[in-house]
Amino acid sequence: MAIEETGENPIKNEGDIVTCRKLIRNVATTAGFGMTDVTRIVTAVSELARNVYVHAGSDGVMRWQLLYQPGKIGIQLVFEDYGKGIPDIDQAIEAGFTTAGTMGMGLSGVKRLMDEMHIQSELGIGTTITVAKWGRAK
Amino acid sequence: MDGENNLSVIKLKNILLVTVPDDPGDDIIQELQTKVLHAIEKYQSKGLILDISSVNILDSFFARTISETTQMVALMGGQTVIAGMQPSVAITATELGLHLGKAISTLDVDRALDIFTDNFKLV
Ligand SMILES: Nc1ncnc2c1ncn2[C@@H]1O[C@H](COP(=O)(O)OP(=O)(O)OP(=O)(O)O)[C@@H](O)[C@H]1O
Ligand SMILES: [Mg+2]
Repeated sequence: MAIEETGENPIKNEGDIVTCRKLIRNVATTAGFGMTDVTRIVTAVSELARNVYVHAGSDGVMRWQLLYQPGKIGIQLVFEDYGKGIPDIDQAIEAGFTTAGTMGMGLSGVKRLMDEMHIQSELGIGTTITVAKWGRAK
Repeated sequence: MDGENNLSVIKLKNILLVTVPDDPGDDIIQELQTKVLHAIEKYQSKGLILDISSVNILDSFFARTISETTQMVALMGGQTVIAGMQPSVAITATELGLHLGKAISTLDVDRALDIFTDNFKLV
């Protein structure tokens, strides 16, 4: 079965969080990631999609792409919104930091679950968070 | 809908058994909390078993709601037992840094029932 190499899903309402999770579970499983890595990836999707929905104050989008290197498979996920932006990125990824009165575990947790994380944000323009995970090819 | 997202709440003597669907959205998780609290009041239940053996994702929202629900159930005089967490979910939740509060965890629903029989004489 041919695997689609790239795709996207909007993040506009609460239901889109589940839609993003289901989509990426499918993509990551089909690509050959093991069960635990699939769970890590899908959990990261849930945290980042919810952050867009809860914090950005704008619609957003999740883009995914499969990556190939000799003997390896990878998945890259980009969460992009056009919302208020993050004033202090170092502070935002500290475990326990939150502006919403919740646990503040999302970004610090995603950093541990994924192999790569990059945050780009500009106040009043938006936030783009890119994460990637690598696994052994089947 | 296809029914796969149905939340089931069953009364078993003095306890409640709640089965959580595999990929619960925020609305279902919120509904879980409300349903559980109402059922506990209605049946005067002393215990709650949350069967999460089908659940394949547990993120910070779910963890927070479970931990909150456990606390609310405790305020109403009940004990919560979380049964059947999948290994990959347990690994991921730990890496994410999640805690489920004061809930007891067991491998499966049978062992959760054992806890209520042996320690609380409720079943
Ligand atoms: N897309 C975003 N746009 C604007 N601000 C954001 C965005 N994502 C995260 N933030 C900011 O970073 C903070 C930390 O995010 P993180 O996900 O770690 O915690 P949280 O969402 O507050 O709580 P939790 O994820 O535990 O429920 C948020 O409180 C928010 O201020
Ligand atoms: Mg968050």
